[in-house]
Amino acid sequence: MSRMMQLAVLILVTSLLGACAPIQPEREVVQRDDLRVDPEIGGFVTVTELLEKRIDMPGGGDLLKIQFAVQAYQDTLMEWAVTWFDAEGMVVPGVGEGYRPARVLPNQTRFFTATAPHEKVVSYQLHLREDREP
Amino acid sequence: MNKWVPVVLCSTLLAACATPTRYIDPAADDGAVAMTMDYRDFERAADAALQDLLSSGAVDNPSGDRYVMAVSRIVNDTMQRIDTDQLVKKIRVGLLRSGKVITTTAVGVDGAEDAMNEKARELRNSEEFDQSGVQKKGTLKAPDLSLSGKIIQRNHKVKDEQQVEYYFQLSLTDLQNGLAIWENETPIIKRGSDKGVAW
Repeated sequence: MSRMMQLAVLILVTSLLGACAPIQPEREVVQRDDLRVDPEIGGFVTVTELLEKRIDMPGGGDLLKIQFAVQAYQDTLMEWAVTWFDAEGMVVPGVGEGYRPARVLPNQTRFFTATAPHEKVVSYQLHLREDREP
Repeated sequence: MNKWVPVVLCSTLLAACATPTRYIDPAADDGAVAMTMDYRDFERAADAALQDLLSSGAVDNPSGDRYVMAVSRIVNDTMQRIDTDQLVKKIRVGLLRSGKVITTTAVGVDGAEDAMNEKARELRNSEEFDQSGVQKKGTLKAPDLSLSGKIIQRNHKVKDEQQVEYYFQLSLTDLQNGLAIWENETPIIKRGSDKGVAW
């Protein structure tokens, strides 16, 4: 009987402690896209290609390089930036965080390239947005 | 006494209308573009130069070691008083992070960038210092590469607007043979009101 009592007390204490534990917020894991185009410009520009390649270095390593093409249906002022990630998904910083402005004329296709700042970069996210400069 | 009341009232009202000072996040700066060079121009020029330099393979040592780079003269041929370190420091940081190049502060065109390299060695044979911690002879690393360059400004009048062109020119020299193994030019062109001042 006393063993039953001990067990009941143990379950009660465990339940009480469990009730006091902070509730962890749910995390929504979303797969990161290589390409993000903001809806403000998505209607009149199209990324017609997005290529990636590792370029060999004389020292034996290699660097990730990407090339993308943008085609516009009207005169478009846009900005673009690439964020680089290592194998663990951590951001690898480059020189700056700013966006690069670009203008694409109607029916023009422009090609852009970007090179990773370190050999440990394995993935990236390219972001196109509308020109924010007033 | 009463004559000061309107003055104080006006000052308070004017102060209330002033634009508040605020921090700017460089990653999301949608502020107006100046005709002069601002931090965004240096960032873009340094980023373009660094990407080109890394992808060229010029700073990739076949032995696997890091190259040692000295910073030579970066000429400011603009109408503005700028510190060229705004450009060079970004490139240096990027190269160091890449793991391919390390910059020496012991060698420079106008002497060592960090005079402590010399000062620390003057402690040699001083009885006041524990000599086991004093730098030995022959420990400084000589540079393999030298970074030099120029920033150029050209102004043009286009109808009732003015156009200001900035050219960021950089060269990397192999000090073993004096050959420029990498060269780059990043133009940054701005067009705006003729009333704007570009110096």
